[in-house]
Amino acid sequence: MDSKKLLQLALRKGGDYADLFCEQSFSNSIVLKDGEVNTAGVLHEGGIGVRVVKGQNTGYAYTESALPADREKAAITASYIADKGGAVEVPSHFTTLPLPNRYPVLTPWENLSAREKMPFLYDLNERTFGADKRVCKVIAQLADSTSTIEFYNSMGDHFTEVRPLASLRITCIMERNGQREAASVSRSFRMGAEFLTQELVCELAQEVTEKTAFLFDAKQPKGGVMPVVMSAGSSGILLHEAIGHAFEADFVRKNESIFSDQMGKRICKEGIHIVDDGTLPASRGALNVDDEGVLAQKTYMVTDGILTSFLHDRISARFFNTTPTGNGRRESFRYMPIPRMRATYMENGSDSQESLIASVKKGLFVDTFSNGQVQIGAGDFTFFVKSGYLIENGKLTQPIKDTNIIGNGPQTLSEITGVANNLIIDNGAWTCGKGQSCPVSCGMPSVLISSLTVGGRL
Amino acid sequence: MNEKNLLQEMCKYTVQSALNKGASAVRITAIREVSNEFTVLNDSLEKIQSATDSVIQIHLFADGRYGTCTTNKKDSAGIDRLLDHTLTSVRLLAKDPFRKLVPAKVRYEGSPIQIAFQGPLKTETKKELLFSCTNAVLGKNPALINVSATLADRRRWIHIEDSSGLDCTSDETWYSIFAECSVKGSDHTRPSDWDVIGGITPAALGLEDCSTPHSSLVGECAVKALKRALDKRNPQKISSGRYLVLVENRAASTLLAPIIQALSGASLQQKNSFLLNQLGQRIASPVLTLTDDPHRKELPGCRFFDNEGLATKKRTVIDAGILNTFYLDTYYAGKMKMPCTVSSPSVLTLTGTEDNLLSLAGQMNNGLVVTGFNGGNCNPVTGDFSYGIEGFYVENGQFSFPVNEMVMTGNMTELWNHLIMAGNDALTTSSWLTPSLLFEHVELAGL
Repeated sequence: MDSKKLLQLALRKGGDYADLFCEQSFSNSIVLKDGEVNTAGVLHEGGIGVRVVKGQNTGYAYTESALPADREKAAITASYIADKGGAVEVPSHFTTLPLPNRYPVLTPWENLSAREKMPFLYDLNERTFGADKRVCKVIAQLADSTSTIEFYNSMGDHFTEVRPLASLRITCIMERNGQREAASVSRSFRMGAEFLTQELVCELAQEVTEKTAFLFDAKQPKGGVMPVVMSAGSSGILLHEAIGHAFEADFVRKNESIFSDQMGKRICKEGIHIVDDGTLPASRGALNVDDEGVLAQKTYMVTDGILTSFLHDRISARFFNTTPTGNGRRESFRYMPIPRMRATYMENGSDSQESLIASVKKGLFVDTFSNGQVQIGAGDFTFFVKSGYLIENGKLTQPIKDTNIIGNGPQTLSEITGVANNLIIDNGAWTCGKGQSCPVSCGMPSVLISSLTVGGRL
Repeated sequence: MNEKNLLQEMCKYTVQSALNKGASAVRITAIREVSNEFTVLNDSLEKIQSATDSVIQIHLFADGRYGTCTTNKKDSAGIDRLLDHTLTSVRLLAKDPFRKLVPAKVRYEGSPIQIAFQGPLKTETKKELLFSCTNAVLGKNPALINVSATLADRRRWIHIEDSSGLDCTSDETWYSIFAECSVKGSDHTRPSDWDVIGGITPAALGLEDCSTPHSSLVGECAVKALKRALDKRNPQKISSGRYLVLVENRAASTLLAPIIQALSGASLQQKNSFLLNQLGQRIASPVLTLTDDPHRKELPGCRFFDNEGLATKKRTVIDAGILNTFYLDTYYAGKMKMPCTVSSPSVLTLTGTEDNLLSLAGQMNNGLVVTGFNGGNCNPVTGDFSYGIEGFYVENGQFSFPVNEMVMTGNMTELWNHLIMAGNDALTTSSWLTPSLLFEHVELAGL
């Protein structure tokens, strides 16, 4: 690939910056349904995306073709975003970035055929059916992908890296006296085939049957405003929705985020630290380098209760005259990079989960979630609770399920009154959507929020 | 040879090559999509995006087994390597007697479908339309923070063929302008809202011809988005309780989606549906009549064959509250020992009265108008749901004040049995033509 020529074409009408993102991906999946692994899928695709940045404006085009003429056409299309002014010089040499290795692959996925993978799904199926006689259906899916990325930009940076991603997901349906319930669990890591272990299968089988069985006696709670204790782990969805998106600096630079004018101000109580971290080894949210050539890092968004950093790509970092935080991510070569989260979590506090629950007279304890959403400007966020308990007089009582909880980001942050010392990073197959999908992870110690609106029956 | 001809040649090569390698049957779907997006933020061109995709999806049937592979590589050597890799995997799988090609008697046998508009918009025309859209509101209200307008156009060509003679082709276009405004609210809030216009030809953008960038619709689009955003300022929460709830047309599909999901073969066969065994039963109030009318060429979602080449036809899905049909492709129909229908909905039409949002609000006296949902979900097995909502409180038939941070909770079957009126104001920018819907006894959690 003549990278220099493509960058020069991209910048032919001017521009501050240009980059080339070349990607080849190979993905496999197998699915077990009705006791048989009888569906396999293979995806092989590749292409190159060309981006030109002029101020806050972006031109982007991609081609799936490896032909020089097609790639040059993409570069010319992207160049149209700039129509005046000078362009930066494309350097004559590229310097390869020294990357860490946060996701070493011991056994490449290409070394494993369906023959070696299928026994894990059959074992998962058998263990799930064996764990509870009420199990009537199991669907299990194993997916792996390996993406090879080659990157060049007009600053002279270059990198090549291989990104693995694997996930194992199981859905279990149980039937009891005509009542049916379903639950799903998953695990996902940036790993090679060493991801597949007997321990993983046992863990998922036990977890999914316990979660499904729990739902038989659970009810939708009575709705209203009440204190909520969020359990450690996947409660990190609160951070992702309530503040994470609103901290993404594309919204901030456009003055559309509810936190746009809160930099340096107190937004929650002292002692609370919230990070977005690309450095967790093998995490689904881990990166060695982001998709615009910035090394991944651990970014403190909230330090001791003070808003200390937004999540930047190159465009917003330049706008705010700061350094990019390594959050410029994209789904694939088909998309331009934008600020996205990686692994978002709160660091440990000093309370215990038991003391947080004991302090609530009447409220909710929630521990399993499926999805969430936020309105960036209004600040209203929601997350859907799959299971939890009522808290009555400091004790967990009635199991609950299927309720949406809604709050306002800044208000909810200010109402976090207790943080436990039991941080768990949730390694489920979380995917964030913002016009394009990105793998992420989240985590949280148990926290007490003094007031949230809980959806429920009268 | 143009790209479409090249793809068709590759389809023929792939079918023959797969058969030569021992596959018993093959189905190929080739998709070519060319799309462009231009975005103007306030008074400057913020984004240009251009995309060209050519994808081949291969469905392989071998030794009673089944698997798929997808690629954007279009060289014969690359296709052969992919076929070898996939066939090796497929031969390791368990047999699946229900995986078959679409039977000849139910497959599409017609001519290629041409729904595409032939004249693409020029770049300068697009820019002028977008600037006229944002200029319609810029400087008109001091509360305005940003107005953005995006013009998207797309041409999508699909070709499906299989080793038993199936041969389907369609070619369609889509044009839309999406305007969004954010405004200063109370405290630090910045409420935003949007409006959209669109259709299968540039006429849907208010253009009389492709070369003249004059349209009154694009300005109206931004004006509506700004009004909606301004109206959302200073929202309140109301008391928990049972309310009359009017769901605006553009939000109503959120409530229809769990019903459609519950009707799919994949959900039903896996017992993951709250509508299992409900065929012929009442699942909603008599007000609900839902028709799938796939051959309305003027609407998005129009199609004459589904993703496996099965011919589509008009069906009444729910007739005055009675469930008439499931969505069954050949695979799940075989597993459930039922006739196949079609894999998924095409153009869904919900029949109502001549009312619109305002006239329905006028008839409801006091209650809540839901203009948008914020998150939430529905349990596919039980139908229990819980969604965040925003909208307006209605007093004496008039919009009173904006409402937010509340949650609507219930059960899908109960909710649809409480449908008391449906309007006739469905938007034609979506393939699901859902009008504004009025429900009674809806449980809302707030103060």
